[in-house]
Amino acid sequence: MGSIRFEGVGKVFGNARTGFKALDDVSLAIGEKEFVAIVGPSGCGKTTCLRMVAGFEGVSAGKVLVNDRPVVRPGADRAVVFQQFALFPWKTVRQNIEFGLRNKRIGKDQRDHLVAGSLKLMSLESHGDAYPHQLSGGMQQRVAIARAYVLDPDVLLMDEPFGALDAQTRVVMQEELVRLARVNPRTVLFITHAVEEAVYLADRVAIMSRRPGTIKEIIDVKTVRLAERWDGHERIEDVMDLESFVHLRTRIWKSLREEKAEIGH
Amino acid sequence: MRGRKAVVGLCAVGGIIILWFALTSWFGIIPAGRFPTPAQFWVALKQIELRGYAGSTLVDHALHSLRLIVISFLVAVGTGIPLGLLMGWNRRAEALINPVFMLIRPIPPLAWIPLAILWLGLGDAAKVMVIWFAAFVPSVINAHAGVRNIDKSVIEAARMLGTPPLRMAGEVIVPASLPMIFTGLRLSLQASWTTLVAAELVGALVGVGFVLNMAQQDIYPAMILVGMLTVGVLGWATTFVLGLVERRVLSWSLQGRG
Amino acid sequence: MDSAPLTLGQTLRLGLIGLFVFFGIWLLLPTAGLVPPSFLPSPIAVAERVATLTTEPFAGATLPAHIAYSFTRFIAGFALAALIGIPLGLMMGWFRLVDEIVSPIFDGLRFIAPIAWVPFAALWFGTGIGGPVMIIFAGAFPPCVINAYRGARQVDRRLVEAAEMLGTGHFRMIVDILLPASVPSLVAGLRVAAGLGWQSLVGAELIVASTGVGFMMVQAQANVATSTVMAGMVAIGIVGLAIDMALRWTEASIRRHRGLDG
Repeated sequence: MGSIRFEGVGKVFGNARTGFKALDDVSLAIGEKEFVAIVGPSGCGKTTCLRMVAGFEGVSAGKVLVNDRPVVRPGADRAVVFQQFALFPWKTVRQNIEFGLRNKRIGKDQRDHLVAGSLKLMSLESHGDAYPHQLSGGMQQRVAIARAYVLDPDVLLMDEPFGALDAQTRVVMQEELVRLARVNPRTVLFITHAVEEAVYLADRVAIMSRRPGTIKEIIDVKTVRLAERWDGHERIEDVMDLESFVHLRTRIWKSLREEKAEIGH
Repeated sequence: MRGRKAVVGLCAVGGIIILWFALTSWFGIIPAGRFPTPAQFWVALKQIELRGYAGSTLVDHALHSLRLIVISFLVAVGTGIPLGLLMGWNRRAEALINPVFMLIRPIPPLAWIPLAILWLGLGDAAKVMVIWFAAFVPSVINAHAGVRNIDKSVIEAARMLGTPPLRMAGEVIVPASLPMIFTGLRLSLQASWTTLVAAELVGALVGVGFVLNMAQQDIYPAMILVGMLTVGVLGWATTFVLGLVERRVLSWSLQGRG
Repeated sequence: MDSAPLTLGQTLRLGLIGLFVFFGIWLLLPTAGLVPPSFLPSPIAVAERVATLTTEPFAGATLPAHIAYSFTRFIAGFALAALIGIPLGLMMGWFRLVDEIVSPIFDGLRFIAPIAWVPFAALWFGTGIGGPVMIIFAGAFPPCVINAYRGARQVDRRLVEAAEMLGTGHFRMIVDILLPASVPSLVAGLRVAAGLGWQSLVGAELIVASTGVGFMMVQAQANVATSTVMAGMVAIGIVGLAIDMALRWTEASIRRHRGLDG
């Protein structure tokens, strides 16, 4: 379980005739347990793509399918991690993580068990009774990821989840996410504007263009990663030093630069 | 820093009291017919507490007013907050109710007093009605604004977690609006006291406003001062209790930390 | 929110339905004989009463004359509150000692409802102009002080430091730096002050006065002239709304002028 398909998706904001055309003919298929990152310049509509999978936005043309069924409304089968965390400030860390489980009508004993495991997985054991405002940004985002993961969703939607964190925390969280993906692989749609982050995390990277927002190119990272044994390196900076990594990164950068040059005219 | 502030504050309050003695008792610059001396104030206080004034003792007057405030305040916010939440959450309800609300809103609560007396007489029911008007409007406005100012992504997070409607209201919308709701409650409480005192001044048979009314008619400055200070103490006490409740309820919020 | 924004047409339609139901019930209750008109006159009766009161005096004057009395008192009390309150607030914001002396006294007095000053106001300044003016002052003074204080405290530190570097004295600092820099906060405070002042005036006129809209209403209440009471409420509401709109307009134009609203 856990496939995502965009089929010729278009999105117009505002009036159909005079409105702003945000997306045009976006097609992308994400397989089960695959990690796909979408990179693109700001305003290209990459977040809109994610919001359509989540069920926050409707489509103006085409189809968005999850497990071969069209998306109608938001639901716990498609968990979202937001850039601004979006934790419930009036609930403790434990209550935040537990909330979705209660909505799924999971019994108290099993809930406690799942929450405890989730706190442990995200190294949050000692913060279970803290309120979000008492935690640092990185810790808050751990809670948000735990809240999404604990639901055992078919797909995980991450909208620039590390965009609001400082550089050091960001690196730690990226490594954490790679570790998490190894322990518990998921179908992930990951939105970012940071090319290195996309190459480091994703199996495939989709590059979006702007005006109209559409997918310009899809780059396979997984083949290179397996061939060059990136997984053998513990730390992100060691991976980023590898020639194969630099090569892929530069290729994506060039593709994005062309994009910006075109806009210049 | 804190120490200095407390010392200067105490000196200021002490200075006022000394000034009071000086201007009235010692040098007689302010005639006793205009403002009581501390001794007269003390006599008036003893008189109302031991023998009663305007029909009851001070404690009875105060308790009567306090009871009216608590009842009317709870009724007003109990109706105002749900209406504000409804208008904030449901655009149709807002479109339907807002014009009528805007029509009634500019009428100050004190202007309802004559109508309340015509409809309900000089008893407690009329006071409950005017206090209801006074406390209702701020609680509606702030509950409404509270819902409107909820961070959109928090609502979306609740949606993606599959929250059913009742839980959405009880565990997401209401708690998220609470900081604004409490701002409204503080305004409502202030408006309630102003309105009650005015209503009791216009027509009543018991209560702190009635004490003020009788003291004014008797031209009894010391008793006026007793009444005013009682109003202040009661206003302070209710605000203090509301603050305690707020700090407890909003312990999770950033404001609660400071 | 539970749904997408409504179209203008939907908003208007629902709003009209709401108003229609409100006025419908108000009209129906007295005309269908469910309540006596002396208890609740119909909206038409109230409108007619407003019209006749413009020419026919009640409680010694016509409605416009009562409004004029009330408005004069309001302006006097409001101006006094602003002229004393704003400088005091600014001084509290600039001189620490003034802040530390005034704040505890001010905080203590704040809990006394403005209307509780009525007996002393009547005793000291009479029931003509002075008494009611003092009540308006009691209502409008605190927001003037609080917002001037807040405005002065929120002035950009760098602005103050730049002025200090240029050798600005205390008086110049308050008049040329703090006052202009806190204008947006001041105007917001004046709006609150006007609202509280206007409602305090109504209260004062209900209790001590022999002219003004509040006096007219209390006389009407004594005569069980319900339609006159409600005509007074309409007049008070309209004048209050006009004052608020004038200040709101001022606030908006100042904010726009300052480039505070992008």
